[in-house]
This record gives sequence, C-alpha cells and structure tokens, in this order.
Amino acid sequence: MLEWAVSRGLAGPRRMLALLGAVTRRQTRFSLMLIAASWSVLREAVRPNTWRRTVRYEFRHMLTQAIGGGLYSTLFTAALTGFGIVTQAVYWLGIAGMAQLTGSLMVTVLVREIAPVLVGVILLGRSGMLMLTRVSRLTLGGQMRTLQAQGIDPFITLALPRTLAMMVAGFALGMIFGTTALLAGYAVCRVQGVINGSIWTFFNDVVDAMRPLDYVVVPAKCVLSGFFVGLCACLTGLDATREDDLGTLLPRGFVRGILAVMVVNTVLSVSFSS
Amino acid sequence: MSAEGGTEGAILELVGARPMFDESGLTARRYDLRVMPGDCVLIEAREPERASLFADLCSGIVPLADGTARCMGLDWANLGEREACALRGRIGRISSRAPWIDFYGTHLNIMMPQLHHTRRPSTEIEGNALDLCRRFGLPGLPTLPPGRLSDTDLARSACVRAFMGAPSLLLLEDPVTGEPPDLYSTFLREITASRERGTSVVWFSAAPERFRDYRPFASQRFRLMEEGLFSMHDRRGTS
Repeated sequence: MLEWAVSRGLAGPRRMLALLGAVTRRQTRFSLMLIAASWSVLREAVRPNTWRRTVRYEFRHMLTQAIGGGLYSTLFTAALTGFGIVTQAVYWLGIAGMAQLTGSLMVTVLVREIAPVLVGVILLGRSGMLMLTRVSRLTLGGQMRTLQAQGIDPFITLALPRTLAMMVAGFALGMIFGTTALLAGYAVCRVQGVINGSIWTFFNDVVDAMRPLDYVVVPAKCVLSGFFVGLCACLTGLDATREDDLGTLLPRGFVRGILAVMVVNTVLSVSFSS
Repeated sequence: MSAEGGTEGAILELVGARPMFDESGLTARRYDLRVMPGDCVLIEAREPERASLFADLCSGIVPLADGTARCMGLDWANLGEREACALRGRIGRISSRAPWIDFYGTHLNIMMPQLHHTRRPSTEIEGNALDLCRRFGLPGLPTLPPGRLSDTDLARSACVRAFMGAPSLLLLEDPVTGEPPDLYSTFLREITASRERGTSVVWFSAAPERFRDYRPFASQRFRLMEEGLFSMHDRRGTS
C-alpha cells in the first residue's frame, strides 16, 4: 500500500520529467543526428574502402549536377549582386569622399558575408531540394530496404558522396560567385565613370583589404555551407516516415538547410570577426 | 547432399530464429530452416509481404529476439555492418518490394551490386550482364529507367540481376509467373545450372502452381504462414 502511494506520489513529477525529456529529445534530435552523421561522413570519407565504384559514380554525378546545374544561377545572382551592391557602395563612398575604402567594403560585405550565404541558398534550392526529393522517395518507396538487402549501405552510397560533392560544389560556386560579383560591379562602375582605374587596380584594392584569415574563413564558409546543406537534405530524406510526404518533407528540409547555412555563416563570422 | 544432424557447410541456417516483431513486422515465431549447397527450397507464401520479411530474416536484416540466423556459416548477429553488407553481396535476390531505383538506368540497377561489392573490371561485369540479358530474352542491356520498361522486361531484368556474379544463395520472391513461357523455361534452366555449381536457392511464391515443373527437383518444401514456417514435404527425409 505504501509502495503504491509512493508510486502515485511520484507519478506527477515523473510524468513532468518524461514530458520535458520528450520535448527536449524531439527538439534536439535532428541536431544530434546531424552532428553524428557529420562525424560519420568525415570518418568514412578517409577510408579507401569506402570509395567503391558506386560511391565514386554517385559523387561524380552529384558534383556535375550541383556545379553544372547551379552555375547559371550563381553567375546570374552574382552579376545582380555585383551590380546592386558594388555600384551602390562605390557611388555612396564616392559621395562621402571615402572612395579609398571601396576594396575594404567589397571584401567585408560581398566576399566575406554575402557570397557564402547566397551560394548556400543556391545550393539548397537548386540541388538540395532535388536531393531531398530523390532520397525521400527511395525511403518512402522502400528502395532503401532493397539496397540494404543487396548489401549496399544507403548512407555510404547516397548520403556520403552527395554531402561531399555539395561541399566541393560550395567551394567552387563560392569562388565563381565572388569573382563574378566583383567583375560585374567593376564593369558597371567603369561604365558609369565611378571608377577610372584598371581592373587590376580594382582587384588589388580588394586583395589589400583582405586579411590573411579571410583566405581561410571565406572558403570555409562556402565549404561548410555546402556540406551541411547536403547532409541536411540527405538526412531529412533518410529520416522520412510513413506519415510524411513531399508536402511536409520539402518545407522541413528547406528550413533545416537555411538554418544550417545561417548558423555556419554566423558562427564563423562571429568567431573570426576580430 | 546434406547431413540431417549436422550444420557443417550449410549455406543458410535458421535455428529457433525468433524475429523482433516490433522492428520487423514478421510474426515473432521460431523459424527453423537449413539449406545446404545446391539445395532448392520452395516456400509457398500467400502474402508477398511476409515472404519479403522472411527473406529479410534470411539476409540478416531483421533483428532477432532469440535463436540464430547464419549464412555461409557466419552468424549475422556477430557480424559488423561492413561484414554483413559484404556477405549480403553474395546473395542474389529478387524482391517483390520496390526493387528498382528509378533515377538510375536499368543497366546500373542490374550491375550495381557487382560494381559495389567486387573489384571485377567494369567491362567484365557489363559482359556478364549482357550475356545474362540475352539468355533471359532481352535484346541487350536495358539502359532506360526501370519505370519505362514493361513488366515482363522488368521480370527478365530482375532475374539477370539476381544471377549476376554467381551468388552463393538465391532468395527469389515470385521471380516468374509462368508467362511468358520462354522466361519461365530459361529461369528453370538457370537455377538448375546454378545449383549444379553449388548455389542454394530459396524460391518463394504466392501461387504454388508456379513451382509446377520444378516441384520434383526441390530439396524441401514449406508453407510460410502467420503461425510460422511449416514443412510440407522433404525428399531427403522421406527417401
């Protein structure tokens, strides 16, 4: 009887704890999964035995899709960004009599902050969503089980090469974006007569304004954005359940991808801002 | 071909294997089965889903609550993920459940297990696939996505994939329906040839009449039901 009363007395707090635990686990589940999967990708990627023909094929295919498919979007977005931001910056700095800060502002705003974010968004929209759709269709359709029955690990064969391909694509598109945006900005300024120096002088200003750390942080932002966009898309697809369909998976994958891009860029910016 | 009391050399062996129902969907009964090299086991399973789950059990995908499941002498429970995957690479399977990946061409679907598990040159694998395609009545290696092939061509392609690379064990879920007749006869010829090479065959079918011509050549016959796996006839036991 006493035991029964004790157990009844603990039922309330236990239920509260269970509720708290359930909410915490539900909210942190994907983040923990992402951390674990990131480690798995890195660990498996360095094992030569991982890179079998099927994995290499998937990597090549995804790399072509991500870079080839995202190239025009990147060039177009970069040209628009260059046109908008570079032109405005040069114009207003000229009015303020601070034209010598043009390079510094370009590096701070365009190369360091905007390029990695926009490249992440392009990768997410152009390739991440496609990847999510395909992987989730395999999960929901039962083909993942078929792959497993053939002794083909879906994580190694699908998630790993796609994540790494997106990482390489992030770097490549980031470099293309930065260069194109600066070129577009220079061209517009030159046409309007805001800048009279040669393109080499313009790029020299930009390079002068870059800190040594920027040569590491900016590529790291692009690389990590691509990595996490790819991994978020794959994990969301692999984690699909019978209750899910594309209507629920796509928004979920998009939000996770955007959050990953923002977190990567914010953390790196804050960490290396000084 | 096989010793009744011994387990030495069995290609597939289930000893009191009781799957976890929650994780598998297969009824949590004890399953016993021993398949020796070159054996052919016919299993009548009215529900294709149950046959798929039982084939998963044989492939070590279904976790066990009790008992053991061994393939080629190796206990699935004692194998690491990589070892288990490699062992599954020695199993040729025709699955009734979502067997094709539609964003790859059918040729890649067919060659994928061999490309993944072996270091055979790609040209050799392609040659093997092409040869099997012709034997199973396809004009060549189909490159279209599986969704654009007819059901018959998909059945032929599934047979090609299962027989690729001379597997040690074939788990075949309703591989042929009897139509077209040339596919049926080629299929019977191929499983006979495979058995002569030492391959074990577990053939599931929802309709027992599909075993028709091969019934006398089977080593064992079972019926897979919700209540478990029941022996119907054992030639070795009765001979």
